[in-house]
Amino acid sequence: MSFKVSKGEIFGLVGPNGAGKSTLLKMLCTVLRPTSGKGYVEGHDIVKEATEVRRSIGVVQEKLILYSPLTPIENLEFFGNLYNMDSKILRAKIMELLDDVKLMTVKDRPVGTFSTGMRQRLNIARALLHDPRVVILDEPTNGLDPQSVRWVRDFIIKLKERGLTVVLTTHDMYEIDELAEVVAIMDRGQILEIGNKDELKSRHGVDKIEDVFLSLTGRELRDELSGRLRGRGW
Amino acid sequence: MQKGSFYHLYIVMKKDLTEFYRVRARLVSMIMLPILLMLLFGYMFPSSGSITHIPIAIVNQDQSATAIQVINSFTYMAQSGNAFNVLTYTSLAQAQQALLQGKIYAIVIFRPGFGEGLKSGAAAVQVIVDQMNPTLDQVVTGGIQSIFSQLNVQLSLSQGFPAQAGTISVNFQGLIPGSPSSFEFLAPGFIAMSMVMGGLAGLAMTFSRERELGTLDGMLMTPISRFSIVMGKAMAQAVRGIISGVMIVILAIILFGVKIYGNIFLMSLIIFLGILSFTGLGLIATSFVSDQESAQMIMLMIEMPMIFISGIFYPVLQLPLWLRDIAYMLPLSYTVSAFRSVMVMNAPLSAVWPDVLVLIVYSLVTFAIAIPLFQKMVTK
Repeated sequence: MSFKVSKGEIFGLVGPNGAGKSTLLKMLCTVLRPTSGKGYVEGHDIVKEATEVRRSIGVVQEKLILYSPLTPIENLEFFGNLYNMDSKILRAKIMELLDDVKLMTVKDRPVGTFSTGMRQRLNIARALLHDPRVVILDEPTNGLDPQSVRWVRDFIIKLKERGLTVVLTTHDMYEIDELAEVVAIMDRGQILEIGNKDELKSRHGVDKIEDVFLSLTGRELRDELSGRLRGRGW
Repeated sequence: MQKGSFYHLYIVMKKDLTEFYRVRARLVSMIMLPILLMLLFGYMFPSSGSITHIPIAIVNQDQSATAIQVINSFTYMAQSGNAFNVLTYTSLAQAQQALLQGKIYAIVIFRPGFGEGLKSGAAAVQVIVDQMNPTLDQVVTGGIQSIFSQLNVQLSLSQGFPAQAGTISVNFQGLIPGSPSSFEFLAPGFIAMSMVMGGLAGLAMTFSRERELGTLDGMLMTPISRFSIVMGKAMAQAVRGIISGVMIVILAIILFGVKIYGNIFLMSLIIFLGILSFTGLGLIATSFVSDQESAQMIMLMIEMPMIFISGIFYPVLQLPLWLRDIAYMLPLSYTVSAFRSVMVMNAPLSAVWPDVLVLIVYSLVTFAIAIPLFQKMVTK
């Protein structure tokens, strides 16, 4: 597999369950080490320059990377300190982000008392704390109410407007249709097709990305078992 | 100046402690569990079990024929029921040294003039008992008392002593001056046990919880080293363990009149090294599982036997040989042994250095194994 994401674009990465999206993203985030091949983020090798890569990326995973007993400020301070941010700059950045994600009024309350939508907004703030150039969003609207979904989508557009590169994975094809400029459709560890969203649709003679997706990956149900259980005769 | 691994270690530790402090249930359980255990064992203590072959010493300072005859009878009776192994020491100093080293549990001293005294009805033996283990203390005291009672009956009936003459009185004496509370000897073990719960289980749980929640991935995506994550979390557990230990010491002093005879700094050093050893061991054990429940089960499997065979309730020397070998492979045995010696017997570092050295080596080795294992665990 080989692909390139241009600076400042919203890149949609889609695929059925078990396609390998999360594995690919974990390698780009330097959490998983690739067994072969090369990867670069902002020109940095994901194996040899892992620290630089980590400084360049902000990650919003499906699982919220937040500590429920801590307040938003404590959560953001913790992660900001891991990036060695100067305390004054960090404090100012936290206030700016809390304002951006509309959580200023609850900044001193434990995150455990927040709704899913509030947590996801804080999760996004956490990912942007150290001014990353690339933002990786893995299912960012999963489980959110329509108002929160709208807010997250609008915020993704704002990120692009600020010049950030966004890599977005989601099972919501409407979201991809609305947000992504370039789309990669992957399955079983391979990229089946990649290109400008409108070009893909016209190439397949359809109006929606969902139809492109289904024509490439098929309509049969995918009952993928986790790798661990699969190897044990289950 | 660039902030390094130790700064990140501190940040992770602070976060873990804040998180822990905020969750009331975790905080309450940390405080309540050791207190409940201490109250339980403090009040219900002690009961004797099927303890056999307890090594005790005889020091004969009399050398009269009567004394030798009584000693032979005592030895026969003591060993016939497999309760005791009787060893003979020529000097009291040697016997006391053996008692301090835990090689024997009591010294029965026949003072000069014992034989003559027996004839006139004023014979007394002195028994020095090791009170380090209250259960054993009771068994030893009761056993020796019972043998002398039987001897008195035999002497008056078969040897033809007058009714009042021939009575041997037994004067028991402990290693510690005064009348120490029996719980005093259990307290060091409880403190060590609370560290096991705080250190071993806490660290394993915090890692598996963070893995399940996804927050561990969040940390791994920042420019923080794996060393800082592991050590930061270990230090947070160490602080928790020390807080827990201090609480128990204070309660043991207030409720049970436990006295601290030893050096506080040396005690703290032993606690700290003990916790580091436990956390290293806990990390190795749980690096093979990914969920909290499995981690909990593994921890329980290690914790429970460790608590019972590490000398808290039952002396290690009284265990079967194979179980003793296992006990000596566990850090709690060394922690309990060193901590108890310092706290109760005011042992200096020169007396407990072998235990301290084992704990240092244990910590270094377990963390040297645990950190690469952690690296492997998070990248698989």
